[in-house]
Amino acid sequence: MNKTIPLLIAATLSTSAFADHDKHEMKHHGGDQMKHAGMNHDHGAEHDHGSHDHNAMAHEHGDMVMNTATITHTDEISAALSNGGAPVVVDVLGVVCDFCATAMNKIFGKRDEVAALYVDLDKKTLSLVINDGSDLSDKQIEKLAKQAGYRIAAIRRDSEAMGG
Amino acid sequence: MIKMILRIALVSMSLMLCATAVARPVSYAGGWTLIETSNRASTAGLVHYSPAHNFSVGLRHEWQRASDVKLTAIQPSLLVNRWFGREYQGNLYLTGGLGTAKDESPNNRGSETASFVGVMADWETRTLFVSYEARFLEQGALGNHSMHAARFGWAPYAGDTGELHTWLMLEVDRREHFEDKTSVTPLLRFFKGPALLELGYNLTDPSPLVNFTYRF
Repeated sequence: MNKTIPLLIAATLSTSAFADHDKHEMKHHGGDQMKHAGMNHDHGAEHDHGSHDHNAMAHEHGDMVMNTATITHTDEISAALSNGGAPVVVDVLGVVCDFCATAMNKIFGKRDEVAALYVDLDKKTLSLVINDGSDLSDKQIEKLAKQAGYRIAAIRRDSEAMGG
Repeated sequence: MIKMILRIALVSMSLMLCATAVARPVSYAGGWTLIETSNRASTAGLVHYSPAHNFSVGLRHEWQRASDVKLTAIQPSLLVNRWFGREYQGNLYLTGGLGTAKDESPNNRGSETASFVGVMADWETRTLFVSYEARFLEQGALGNHSMHAARFGWAPYAGDTGELHTWLMLEVDRREHFEDKTSVTPLLRFFKGPALLELGYNLTDPSPLVNFTYRF
């Protein structure tokens, strides 16, 4: 019995350690959860389609209720916007505690493209300001959120992120 | 590199000062976590590193106070699945460990190879929390232990980012190798930024509960 437990651990880790990873990819790219039903933003003239990769990530609205939250203004975010940064608001699923915020801060805060960020537990959003001249595509944002352990539901940029 | 060495040194010192623990056993990719737990059965410390968002590997040191047995083990943990919702998060983890257990009591029963497997599941919103945890430990002649624990928590207010989050919790645990097999511990959880502190008192088997987690 003493030998069976380590074997069980090894078997479990080898067979399932990355099963979730694969499943996660499927959910994001399989199409089923990438519905635009309940889309909370206008794809009309106001939306700048030139600034990000719209096809790569789309906007996942799986089990999300409509969220039209705009960017959260902190001193850091306001300063970054004043310096010409581009606002991005990311609706994040599963953000319920400060550990979630810590994870997002650590992962996104390392990126040179990010001038300022704030995780808002009340709004369930990640507010980003992208440095002038830099870009962080929807797909990159999705990937970073996954590294933090979370999943995104929608991304709003520019005027949508600012609320008008 | 120097930063990494300092971090390992800090964590090692903390391990020596306190002991082991379990809580959220997997962090964000590249994240380190220090966990200390002390309850009616043991005082323990765990430091783990997560190379990916769904896997961590850590070093655990645990002092089983009643028998004065000290366990040191490598502990890998796997986030099997995380369920997401706009208002909730649920997690299922598997964990295990392999190391040595040493009898430090006057009985001096020597050392044994030790191994354990565990499962953890939790579901939480910003004001409700439910969890279940089980661990099965084998230490040969130094004793085999099983543990089950369930928790229910409620937060009287939903704290925003960086604010102090306060939870009222009740833990019920069952340990077959104890005289009081089932016990109840009310506790308070304080949560702020990367730090989490839990303070409670076991009403059935009078003893304090002190848990601390810090995420780097």
